[in-house]
Amino acid sequence: MSRQLGRVVSQILNRYFGEIVEKVGNDLFMYGSKPMGMIIKSTGLPRTQVIESLRTLLKFDLATFEAKDVIVDYKLLPDNILLLIRYPRYLLQMKTKYGSEAEMLVEELLQQASCTATVLIVSVMNKYKDDKEKNLNIVKLKDTFISLATAGYIQQAPVAESNSEIPILVPVATIVPDLDVRELINAMNTNLNNVSDNIYWKVNYDRFHLDFRDEVMIKAVTRRIDDNAGELLKLMLEQMYLSSSSWASDSSPVPLTDLKDGCQRISDNMKNHVEQYLRVIEESTAFIRRTGDAGGGQYSVRIQHALIQLVEALCDHTVTERLGGKAARIFRLIRSKKYIEEDDIQKNAMLPNKECKELTYKLLEEHFISVQPMRKAASAGGMAKAIYLYHVKLHDVAHVIRDMCYRSLHNVMSVSRHTRVLNARLLDKKRRVRTIVHGMRLRGEPQQNIDDVRYIFCIYILRGAWTVEVLDTLTPPEVTSSAEAERRLNTLAASELHLDRELFILTSYFTYQR
Amino acid sequence: MAGRGRGRGSGISLTHEQIQALGIARGDNTPAILTPPPLFPKLDVKPLPLNCDAATDYMVIVKDQFIEYLHESPAYVKANTRNDGIERYSDKYKLLALDAKKGNILDCVWANIPPELRPNAGRSRVSVKKRKLDDPKEIAKRLQTLEKKEIQDTSTEDMETNEDEVKKETEENDEELEDEHEQEEEIDDGTDYANNYFDNGEDYEDEDDNLDDGPVY
Repeated sequence: MSRQLGRVVSQILNRYFGEIVEKVGNDLFMYGSKPMGMIIKSTGLPRTQVIESLRTLLKFDLATFEAKDVIVDYKLLPDNILLLIRYPRYLLQMKTKYGSEAEMLVEELLQQASCTATVLIVSVMNKYKDDKEKNLNIVKLKDTFISLATAGYIQQAPVAESNSEIPILVPVATIVPDLDVRELINAMNTNLNNVSDNIYWKVNYDRFHLDFRDEVMIKAVTRRIDDNAGELLKLMLEQMYLSSSSWASDSSPVPLTDLKDGCQRISDNMKNHVEQYLRVIEESTAFIRRTGDAGGGQYSVRIQHALIQLVEALCDHTVTERLGGKAARIFRLIRSKKYIEEDDIQKNAMLPNKECKELTYKLLEEHFISVQPMRKAASAGGMAKAIYLYHVKLHDVAHVIRDMCYRSLHNVMSVSRHTRVLNARLLDKKRRVRTIVHGMRLRGEPQQNIDDVRYIFCIYILRGAWTVEVLDTLTPPEVTSSAEAERRLNTLAASELHLDRELFILTSYFTYQR
Repeated sequence: MAGRGRGRGSGISLTHEQIQALGIARGDNTPAILTPPPLFPKLDVKPLPLNCDAATDYMVIVKDQFIEYLHESPAYVKANTRNDGIERYSDKYKLLALDAKKGNILDCVWANIPPELRPNAGRSRVSVKKRKLDDPKEIAKRLQTLEKKEIQDTSTEDMETNEDEVKKETEENDEELEDEHEQEEEIDDGTDYANNYFDNGEDYEDEDDNLDDGPVY
């Protein structure tokens, strides 16, 4: 709960839900948990707006509440707010793994935050009904929904326990539903309000995070060694899901024979080199470990260790980019020696004396390394009074880097907000033009109509149909400046997504440290 | 020895030799004029270029769509009216658009949300308060006890002990009442004095209480 986190959270809330929700969120972040009356008082907002903001926060699972007698205390969940940035990544994952149907379902579910299976499927169906390209059909959607539920990407939302006035949300085990296609079609033709389905679903972020974690690990091994090694690790992770809990720090051991069987499915050539590959992975990345000799050798995946390695790589990279290659050399040296004295750094880093010292202090100043003074008991002279041991506390460094990520995320978001405000009129105009063109295309109006009138931006009625000047509504300078603004906004959005990737590695590292 | 007699906090201050050992020469640390650090410091190193592939482009588009959806939905809470006192031609259309959106309430699972956030929160609270006097039997009972009290009061020659007995009786009656009401209200001593008439000011400025009645023309 750092200050940087608070700033990011408030930026995100502003971007997604507007200023009022931001104010309420900020208030909740500062004071931990507080009841509604206090929020109204400290923010100075009208009661209705606070109610609406709290509804929004609760709906999207960005806050929780807790009943104390008659008073309800609200509490912000900053971690979930950070996940808002990750939504596109979830959708991408769905699209690549399960195809566009799954993507549509998950997108709708993310937008609705939680809804029943019937409503979900029917609303997706209604949304894309006219879209011939997608060629949706309800049976396929239903099957996708069930396979998503089976794979755990979506889960049942917590249910309210209703023995008191104020509900208490209790998580429930997910039961894969049995949906009747005929009922779905019925529901589609009639009013949705009559549907008696009362099991609510929501997206299971954790399942996605598992996928991302595996992806990062596999990618790391593939880069370090080769594709086959990546495949092998993937296989081991698959085995791991069968036998041990998915967030375990070490998987339960898998015998070599099982791995060989699995490799045969990938390629024959792989099978002969399994042992060599295992050895190479173990030695070069330490993502796996040989835990026993029985049955030709037993291997387990060391998830926690792998994440430590990944975070170390991240730290190295950050130091390199911030302070240069030489500082990174010192940083790596200190990490590999665990505790090291200043003189030894100079000897081992092979850098000029002064430069080395400067860099060391710079590292210390930016909190990448820490120093531990050791007092010598009975020593003569001021010189040898104490020795200073430099070392790397990975946990602390990870915190520092996470704060950096928050800070740059905040910067990126505020810059893009500023750009958006500066170009609000242009962007708005452009969007309006785009929607009008889209509408006209959908209605099948002739192209000539679309770009007929020039030099004026207006909407006028011509024989009952909306005809719009489109192409030259934006003057050439406007076109260039709006293109520039859009390019900047896109770059900023992309960097948000990249920062989120880094944050993901760091947060999953922290989950194992607890 | 320099620095010897400077007290016990020698862990922090360094001796001359130590400073020299740290690589700081005599002229090195002449204090410069102190200024606040620049607001936008120049970057020493240019950051790595972002590699934007198709996947990133896709994610950016999806993100924009999602945000646009949220901005259109009632989840995006807007200030009521921002009026800068200048009439504009477009005001009419903006108001129309606002009115269209105003009726929308965020679609939540109301059972999972505290009662104070539900749309009819104000009304349910009022009905709970009133329920006590709804039942005619209760009223009759209450009246009876009050009548008895009055009779006791008017008969002045009654002994104090007698009064006490009656008091006890009424109290017992009240206790019965209390038991019946315990589910409905948290604090109830049987008399109206116990009712909470205290207004904590939460309902002040509660202009949108009748949201679902639609706009008033």
